[in-house]
Amino acid sequence: MRFSDKFKAFLIDFVIWLYLLGSGLYFADSFGYKIPIIFILPLALIFATILNFGEDSPGMALFGEKKRKWLKSLNGWIIMLVLIMTMAVGWSVVEVDLFKFFTKGANAKGIVSGLFHPNFKIIKICLTALVETIYLALLATVLAIPLAFVLSFLAARNLMPKTFLGNSIYYIVRTIATIFRSIEAIVWAIIFSVWVGIGPFAGMLALMIHSVASLTKLYSEQIENIDSGQIEAIKATGATTLQVWVFAVIPQIISPYLAFTIYRWDINVRMATIVGFVGGGGIGLLLLQQQQLLRWHNVGIIIWLIALVVWIMDMVSGKVREKLQEM
Amino acid sequence: MKNIIKINKLHKKYTSGTHALKGIDLEVKKGEFLILLGLSGSGKSTLLRCLNRLIEPTSGEIYFNEMDVVNANSNGLRKIRRQIGMVFQQFNLIKNISVLTNVFTGKLGYVSLAHSLTFKSHKNDLQLAEANLERVGLWEFKEKKVKNLSGGQQQRVAIARALMQNPQLILADEPVASLDPATADSVMRYLGELNKKDDITVICSLHFLSLARKYGTRVIALKDGKIVFDGTPTEIDEIKFKEIYGEDAEEVEIR
Repeated sequence: MRFSDKFKAFLIDFVIWLYLLGSGLYFADSFGYKIPIIFILPLALIFATILNFGEDSPGMALFGEKKRKWLKSLNGWIIMLVLIMTMAVGWSVVEVDLFKFFTKGANAKGIVSGLFHPNFKIIKICLTALVETIYLALLATVLAIPLAFVLSFLAARNLMPKTFLGNSIYYIVRTIATIFRSIEAIVWAIIFSVWVGIGPFAGMLALMIHSVASLTKLYSEQIENIDSGQIEAIKATGATTLQVWVFAVIPQIISPYLAFTIYRWDINVRMATIVGFVGGGGIGLLLLQQQQLLRWHNVGIIIWLIALVVWIMDMVSGKVREKLQEM
Repeated sequence: MKNIIKINKLHKKYTSGTHALKGIDLEVKKGEFLILLGLSGSGKSTLLRCLNRLIEPTSGEIYFNEMDVVNANSNGLRKIRRQIGMVFQQFNLIKNISVLTNVFTGKLGYVSLAHSLTFKSHKNDLQLAEANLERVGLWEFKEKKVKNLSGGQQQRVAIARALMQNPQLILADEPVASLDPATADSVMRYLGELNKKDDITVICSLHFLSLARKYGTRVIALKDGKIVFDGTPTEIDEIKFKEIYGEDAEEVEIR
């Protein structure tokens, strides 16, 4: 066994024991026993070392050579213990309270009755806000397409040359897209509602940024999955790089690109409601206002309208994507 | 006769460590129909792809019509590639577009991007493409999408695409390996006709000795990246065959 593997195995075991002992500490704390956290460090170190030498631990199972039957080994029991501990700590941290769940239903009377008696008088305002939301989502998607289209070529492993420059561009575009994608649209909405002020424009910018990042990823993965034989054949005719892109790459990606884009619009309509909550305008903002005023009958009609739009979008985009797949 | 291809001490080592070509020396004369034999993994595909540098050789020299292929810059390579047509086992046509556009792509090495986007409005190109489709008997399929064609038809479109290049040489990488025997023979017949009537040199890798004997004027065999046989198709007897394909091989006759 290589030293680096041994070290990795030990590290994993150490972290697992740190976690188990830490969880124990959490329960001890909730029962009033104050144990300094520093104590678990040497304990975890000792446990991990002993088990590592015994070659029967989760870390050794991952990196070691010996393979044992799961249930017959100590390793299995340790993993079981981790799972049980996780559920127990989770139950306590989330403050699960089944009593509340089954006895306090009456609190939701207002909103439930709102759902059954929606206030149709405000439908005009609602529809205006809804149109705002749909256009916001549409614009965010459409504006994201050209950017993501160009970036996806730069983020495709098989298209970028294996030179220093090619690799650098590939990694930079990939990394930025990953970072931007991992920041949720709702966070972008908060940023932009400060930047350009509360309203649909902030929401559009938030959704656009997020769409560019995730479409870049989806698009570039599509490029990476194309048939390299077709590229080879076009290259062999003496085509320039641009001609190879136009004739061998684009025909292969155009219909999956369309499918992804329509799917993205679908997602954006849903997200547009959410970003409205934090200052992105549209129906989300209206929902937030009415909810804070406790006007449950108004909330009722808004929720029904959102559900209706999402349902229609879902159906339409599903049908269109189905057709695209046949093309 | 003039050499169309001259190869000196060609080596190809992949980054994975595979040494696919171990010092190939080869001269191909204009007008030859050269058959490449050898097991899968013997280096046939690598050799063919080194000739137009779809694969970069590790070392050695390649000359196409006395032009240096290995050291050609991108513009020089474009000029070399456009004179060399290529046909593949998997056809490698652009499946979602029309037969006619696929044939047009054979012209890409000669024209600008703007021109290549408007092939249909260039009368010469359109006439040439239709003539080449006619030649492989697929004129009436010109508006169809490639993916709706059968394997044999697709390979004929690929030949029309190669013809569009007005090539001096056609490289065929197991062109009939995905086809049934009857279709295989008809595709080989087209290649044979181009060789005889149009004086296009053909280098073609194959697995069937019967087809090699019927169409080839010369056969070379590769084994572990080296040439182990170089002669006429009739010279390959059972002993030679077993040398190339290993002791357990039996020749399969396709009629």
